[in-house]
Amino acid sequence: MKRLLLGTAMAMGLAGMASAEAHGGYKIGISNTVQGNGWREQMVCAMKAEALASGKVESLNIAHRNTDAAGQLEDIRNLIQAGVNAIVVNPSNSEGINSAIKEATDAGIVVVAVDQAVTEPSAYILSNNQEEYAYLGAKWLFETMGGKGAVVYMRGAAGAGADNDRDVGFKRAMAEFPEITVAQEVFTGWQQDQGKQQINDIIAAGVPFQGVWTSGIDNVIVDAFVESGAPLVPIVGADNAGFVGQLSSVAGLQGAAVTNPGSVGGAGVALAIQILDGQMPAEKTVLVDPAIWDNVSDEGKAKLAAAANPNLSPEWPVSVSIEGWTTYTMDQIIACKGPGE
Amino acid sequence: MMRLIGGNGWTIGLAVLLALLLVATKAIQPDFGPSGLDNLARSALPFALATVGMAIVVIAGGIDLSVAAMMAVASVTAAVLMDGASDGQAVFAVLAVLLLGLGMGALNGALIVVTRVPDIVVTLAMLFVWQGVALLILNAPGGGAAPWLRALAVGGVTLPGVPPAFTEWLPRGVVFLAVVVAAVWLPIRRSKLGLRFYAIGSDPQAAFRSGVSVGPTRIAAYAVCGLFAALGGLSVTMATGIGEPIPGPYLLASVAAVVLGGVVLGGGRGGILGPILAVFVLRTVRMDLTLLSVDPNVAAIVEGTIMVAVVMFGAVLATRGRRG
Repeated sequence: MKRLLLGTAMAMGLAGMASAEAHGGYKIGISNTVQGNGWREQMVCAMKAEALASGKVESLNIAHRNTDAAGQLEDIRNLIQAGVNAIVVNPSNSEGINSAIKEATDAGIVVVAVDQAVTEPSAYILSNNQEEYAYLGAKWLFETMGGKGAVVYMRGAAGAGADNDRDVGFKRAMAEFPEITVAQEVFTGWQQDQGKQQINDIIAAGVPFQGVWTSGIDNVIVDAFVESGAPLVPIVGADNAGFVGQLSSVAGLQGAAVTNPGSVGGAGVALAIQILDGQMPAEKTVLVDPAIWDNVSDEGKAKLAAAANPNLSPEWPVSVSIEGWTTYTMDQIIACKGPGE
Repeated sequence: MMRLIGGNGWTIGLAVLLALLLVATKAIQPDFGPSGLDNLARSALPFALATVGMAIVVIAGGIDLSVAAMMAVASVTAAVLMDGASDGQAVFAVLAVLLLGLGMGALNGALIVVTRVPDIVVTLAMLFVWQGVALLILNAPGGGAAPWLRALAVGGVTLPGVPPAFTEWLPRGVVFLAVVVAAVWLPIRRSKLGLRFYAIGSDPQAAFRSGVSVGPTRIAAYAVCGLFAALGGLSVTMATGIGEPIPGPYLLASVAAVVLGGVVLGGGRGGILGPILAVFVLRTVRMDLTLLSVDPNVAAIVEGTIMVAVVMFGAVLATRGRRG
């Protein structure tokens, strides 16, 4: 049995080497530490689609599992061993994986951190502007509430870099509206069930509030209002397909979706390919600015209508591409196939 | 000689499997060399320490579901204490964390002995308690680690007077693991306490009738497990340079390695070397799957299948051996 195992492994290895010799092109490694989350799945599909659409990537090595920073160190070092030209990583936190990133860049591998920043200076960073994300949504919410009242502040996961950045943006908007107070502050952990339980508790407790800001756990919040029959208040969420649908279908709902494209992963692959081709970006950090689509103004309504796509999974963000960065088609990202698949 | 092989057959089998996997890795990736072994040792370290702790409580007839959560408490405590501390202060931080580990483990054990609630229930409850404690200490990844501590398990061994080509193949991570495990476990294994662990795991009533005080022995086993969990947490902080309050995937991985390592879940039988080799086998499989760029969703299935296959294969061999 051991001989069989070894034989199979060797055969697979030889097959792998043969295909590596067959074409030219870059070998790109991907490291991601959250599996089974719609946003992250879209990110990985965008990476695959961009690698395929570019025509310059020969193969992708994807390390995609639920793990901590220590596990991500292992994954990145395995990718270094696999001899990739570039690594695109969604870091589990900003400092914990610096040592492996340094080892990769020392070995001449291009490292691009997407979605969240890392503090290692040799890495390139391509991220959604999370501070602006929170600020845009909160500002719209506070204006819609008439500049006064109490808001339920439903954050993401305690300790996540993106959550900390969003908190800065939220506080910046709070400072501009002195008559706005926080009725309740909770961490949803970016989990649908947890967020729904929390809003049900808040509604049942009878805490008065005039608006809800969510960090992307949004459609279940609307569901909770509809199911409990509680009067709707303005709700801010992300551009997840489910929530975007509710913004046009739920009667009496005032809300806004702030874009937070998972396709930033595809943009990260595009940036890595550019650098490998010798085109260095002007800055090591590139921020993608979000947009806000509300269902009150005509402009917002038009954007919501344009973004709706029944073929998308309801957990996916509807903004499937990033202008100026990604080159794949809608069909390619939905197909979720990388080079050689 | 034959008796030695017979008694340690499972461990030797795992060592052979590991060697074959390393040969396969070299075949997959011809550049695989000292740096690859170093990576393997560094990534295996937290898993191996958690597994040793788990193996000891399992040998003593228990189980500790809070092992990963205790690692998180140790990791954040170490990171908070070492943040901005001098090298000398960091030594005390390490000692404090090890004592904390002993204390956490002893508390787990004491609760089981005093309340007489099953170990699986108590340690499941303590899993949540220690998770909360870790978040109280540090609500977001942060803190620091002393550079000398971080360097302890990095790179290959160098000996004065010996050309590095001979010694670079032995990663410091492996030496670190061997030293730590030998320093803690060997004295226990060779003392009465070690015998008592096996005795209460094998048959607590018989142990009691032979004069073993079962309660204190059980508490001691959990305390040693807590100590290894603290070492595991320290190794996470050594690897990342920070403390992370959310526990990593060490609980199920340690139970898996204990089983794969030939420790009987009912207690009383098995050793420490087997589970450690099992950790390296599982890490090497993970590395090979990445090197082969196997679909990540399939990789988890492959890992699980290999585990079941090896354990079943071992069971078949064991039954055949008994018949013959």
